[in-house]
Amino acid sequence: MIDLYNPTEEHGALRQMVRDFAEREVGPQAAASDRAEHFNVELFRKLGDLGLLGLTVSEAYGGSGMDAVAAVIVHEELSAQDPGFALAYLAHSMLFANNFYHNANDEQRRRVLPKVCSGQWIAGMGMSEPHAGTDALAMSTSARRDGDDYVLNGAKMWITNGAINDTELGDCFLIYAKTSDNRGRSLSSFLVEKGRPGFRLGQKIKDKLGMRASPTAELVFEDCRIPVTNRLGLEGESTVHMMRNLELERLTLAAMSLGIARRCLEIMNQYATDRHAFGQSIRNFGQIQKYLGDSYAQWRAGRAYVYDTAARLSLESQGNRMDSDGVKLFCATMGKDIADNAIQVLGGYGYVGEYQVERLWRDAKLLEIGGGTLEAHQKNITNDLRRVGVLR
Amino acid sequence: MKILVSAKRVSDPNARLQVAKDGKWIEGDVEYVMNYFCENAIECALQIAESQDGVETVAVGIGDEDTARFIRQGALARGIDRGIYVAAEESEIDSDLIARIYEGVVHRERPDIVLIGKQAVDGDSNQVGQLLAEYLGWPQATFASKVELQGDEAIVTREVDGGLEVIAVSLPCVITADLRLNEPRYASLAGIMKAKKKPLEELEIDDLDLDDADPKVKVVALSTPSGRKAGVLVKDVDELIAKLRGEARVV
Repeated sequence: MIDLYNPTEEHGALRQMVRDFAEREVGPQAAASDRAEHFNVELFRKLGDLGLLGLTVSEAYGGSGMDAVAAVIVHEELSAQDPGFALAYLAHSMLFANNFYHNANDEQRRRVLPKVCSGQWIAGMGMSEPHAGTDALAMSTSARRDGDDYVLNGAKMWITNGAINDTELGDCFLIYAKTSDNRGRSLSSFLVEKGRPGFRLGQKIKDKLGMRASPTAELVFEDCRIPVTNRLGLEGESTVHMMRNLELERLTLAAMSLGIARRCLEIMNQYATDRHAFGQSIRNFGQIQKYLGDSYAQWRAGRAYVYDTAARLSLESQGNRMDSDGVKLFCATMGKDIADNAIQVLGGYGYVGEYQVERLWRDAKLLEIGGGTLEAHQKNITNDLRRVGVLR
Repeated sequence: MKILVSAKRVSDPNARLQVAKDGKWIEGDVEYVMNYFCENAIECALQIAESQDGVETVAVGIGDEDTARFIRQGALARGIDRGIYVAAEESEIDSDLIARIYEGVVHRERPDIVLIGKQAVDGDSNQVGQLLAEYLGWPQATFASKVELQGDEAIVTREVDGGLEVIAVSLPCVITADLRLNEPRYASLAGIMKAKKKPLEELEIDDLDLDDADPKVKVVALSTPSGRKAGVLVKDVDELIAKLRGEARVV
């Protein structure tokens, strides 16, 4: 029971609780939500009742005060049933709640976090822009100081939970914007709530390949006035906030790949026993054994790497970029490859929705792009490796 | 008012079990889950406690060391106030001894209601509630699908062959929970964290001063079900009917 994956009895109980909930309530709606590109808000709010939406936020603000390992457990278990739903959870709880909790002041925390932790408000985070992705510091959204306000102009793209349906914005966002051209101190972050004049929904992104159960939107700011009391931390300080939260974001995205991989393995394992060809179970064939054996070993390797990194990742500070990039680099492709193997083992049945692996393959692909492309991870790791002589 | 509820772990019904080499127990890396009917009993106790003031709820679990974890995470984390764990070798206790252990706990705790899962989904004995009521000389209401308290009576709807039976039993009483009694809640994360700090008393069977602590049932042998034989493909309806008439003799 007490092991790398469940380091305390509470972690084990958390996993059991999330797995029960996910199997009974998240899994059964996954295919329909995917097909309809529907974000299941009612189900999402139940995560608040369970104490999951403020997972890493202190109890003082309505959260549960858990650590990075707990975050990995929740993402792994939700994603095994519905990666799209898990992605909406990640945007809300990791990208908004965790980031906000660590960088806001006490007044801001008391004002916002209880509503976010309960699920009354649906939250997201805005970093990418229509013309700035991997090169995040090249963003052009600006916040100009004007008396006790900032005036926000620009647009944010690919924002998970940006809209909760085709027409309605999410409730609150953490938005990065440029407050100066001073290199290294150019970024500040702001709380922007739905309903502020000049803040509107741009396009609702439709027809995504996967992750269709999570809503994606463009957010537009046109002379949108934000009070200074909505700025998180000091002006120009937020590059550090962004880098620190990216570590947890990438770790939990990697955890989502673990869930996808495990589910695909279970499905292809069962199918390989049940399906007969040439007078025997297809798991007797060497070609099928390659898919099963390789998939299992890759999943186990990824899982050990993710939990090892999670155990060392402090939510209070940064310093794990090599491995938070590393786990996502390895696991994103691992998850997609295992989903691909599962489709191949299932043949024609794998290619249609009923057996789930078709959807999981589409969902898995996003993890090679979102939260950092494979290429961004390779760049970061190579940069950081330059400073390392001996690997311990 | 005090309610005692059962918290029994069972081997996961979806797991593949192996019979141990001595042929008398199961072995291997067995996954355990909370007995489904105990989850219903726990939910029922919590609903009663939430509907009126002054109700104390106590979960009782009997078995191997790991049982304490199920009391904490399956009962206390859901909201039960405290737990009592009675250590016992699971392969060496039968339904009768479990009922006597409960009897001993009832004498210590003096509850108004004992709520027990109607049976464990692994052993499927369906005896403990009935035996306990007999030993205590208390009224019993088994297979409950609805429980309402009115004064010093419990109005219990029972699922019986052919329909529902509504009976009134005076307190104190034993009620066994059926699956349709309620929809068990999930333990919240806050509940899981709180459970750590709730009292969980650990007892040995000897602490209970039972007159008789010997099991009456001896497991002689366990075996896995034999695999189903492959079916036969028939060519046409005529052949099917012929087989149903001639071999199966059902038409």
